[in-house]
Amino acid sequence: MVERLEVPPAEVPPADWGRKGQPSFGPWVFIAVLGLLLLGQFVYAPYLTSPALQTWSTVFVAICVQALPFLVFGVLLSAAITAFVPASFWTRALPKRAALAVPVAGVAGAVLPGCECASVPVASGLISRGVTPAAALAFLLSSPAINPVVIVATVVAFPGQPMMAVARFVASLAVAVLVGWIWLRFGKGEWLQARRHHDHASFAEAMRHDLLHAGGFLVVGGMAAATMNVIVPRQWLNALADNVWVSVLALALLAVILSICSEADAFVAASLTAFSPTARLAFLVVGPMVDLKLIALQAGTFGRRFTVRFVPLTFSLAVLVSVVTGTVLL
Amino acid sequence: MTQSLLLILLGGAVLRITTVSSEYLNYVKPGFRFLLIAAGAVVLILGVAGLFKKEDGHRGPGVAWLLTLPVFAIFLIAPPPLGSYAARSEDAPARPAASALTAYTPLTKPVSDMTIGEFLGRAWGDSTQSMAGKQVKLTGFAVPSKKDGQWYVARMQIACCAADAVPLKVAVLGMPAPEEDQWIEVTGTWVPPKEGAPPPGTAAPEMTAVDVTEIPQPVEPYE
Repeated sequence: MVERLEVPPAEVPPADWGRKGQPSFGPWVFIAVLGLLLLGQFVYAPYLTSPALQTWSTVFVAICVQALPFLVFGVLLSAAITAFVPASFWTRALPKRAALAVPVAGVAGAVLPGCECASVPVASGLISRGVTPAAALAFLLSSPAINPVVIVATVVAFPGQPMMAVARFVASLAVAVLVGWIWLRFGKGEWLQARRHHDHASFAEAMRHDLLHAGGFLVVGGMAAATMNVIVPRQWLNALADNVWVSVLALALLAVILSICSEADAFVAASLTAFSPTARLAFLVVGPMVDLKLIALQAGTFGRRFTVRFVPLTFSLAVLVSVVTGTVLL
Repeated sequence: MTQSLLLILLGGAVLRITTVSSEYLNYVKPGFRFLLIAAGAVVLILGVAGLFKKEDGHRGPGVAWLLTLPVFAIFLIAPPPLGSYAARSEDAPARPAASALTAYTPLTKPVSDMTIGEFLGRAWGDSTQSMAGKQVKLTGFAVPSKKDGQWYVARMQIACCAADAVPLKVAVLGMPAPEEDQWIEVTGTWVPPKEGAPPPGTAAPEMTAVDVTEIPQPVEPYE
């Protein structure tokens, strides 16, 4: 112990020493757990025979297939931002004061018509071009929730209840900006994992790397979401619909588990008729910001130390803001 | 090198299920087709371009190997569309989206083809009871019921992909149940709820069938 203290700091290898090119263990452990979960289902539940596996594989492939175009689009946009937009553009486009840049970036999320898979690589690209992480994170949270495609889908899914779309917009933007501000005040730069690109990485090389990396984590999230989708029967939920707080938490957790694309979640929320409008609002606000496939993507892109702080913060703020917004507007 | 092959495999699989076959309809809405073709082409091109890049000793991320899993699933399991397993719950089917604003036109044909979603809408949300006494034809797959003397004709409704699927179901009376998951066309008449029945939306609506025809699975399995 004593000897260790005497080692001069310069000789301590960097944190990522010896890890280059090796897969991190996080995802593998995660997969082992999921595998055991699935195996357990087969051992303990004899009725869960091949139809369950087929249903699982359909949902799993569906999540991957559905997310791929958005992921490719996001990676393309991110590589384009890195390659073609000079860093000086962002210092001019965003207010100099970071506290102002956060809400501006949050509102700017309204222009990227994608779902959450696209916004992760784009936010990562923004950070690598010198945009304040807090502002990029506000953009990351707001863009899948408040873009025009999602808001129109929400209006269509809730006929005669236009306030649901309004409440979704207001609550999602508020959560994004609040998380950005909290990150600005308390966040540390070292929590964010730097992109492991070489400086000379070309456009195609950056895209290839990001796609392989984020794609792999998307698969992890897809497996988790498909497993939950098959294992958790939705009728359990209806038993929880009566109590205000329990119902809000139940639907917020369901949003995390199901990992539905933000452009489709309004239709699922509309079908959860046993629940109060506020609980369904929580489902719509939490879903695009925190879900299993997104957690996997964020852990892959920004690192674990970021994710263990960012995800609980976002989740709890999303639930709180949904309850407040739902009480006022719905 | 291996990473480029991985991308070629992935892009090829996506292009296969969207151009050679229409298997993508098992997973997503038809509107996704061109998005998927574009994405598959970009992935394929990136992979092919990577083959000609000279090696710089930089290994790609190990987690990328997981991308082989959906590819294996597509080629080996070829996951079928969601069927009776996903629709097995005895609960009431979800209220179809947008039914509240739809104006129901009178049914004039001797037998009206309709989606199960429309049937649910007319059964639950139509104050004029336009469906009463009219013969309708529904297309779906057979789902057994725990209740005696009935089974369900069901279809999954998706908004985006199969992960958001909700089952739409109508209880069929008066005909023997086909084999589970068999695709069928059911012709019959809606049974309006009797006095004192549970309120609309709490149990699947019923129909008395006069004809059940087995059909192959439709190309587009979802509503």
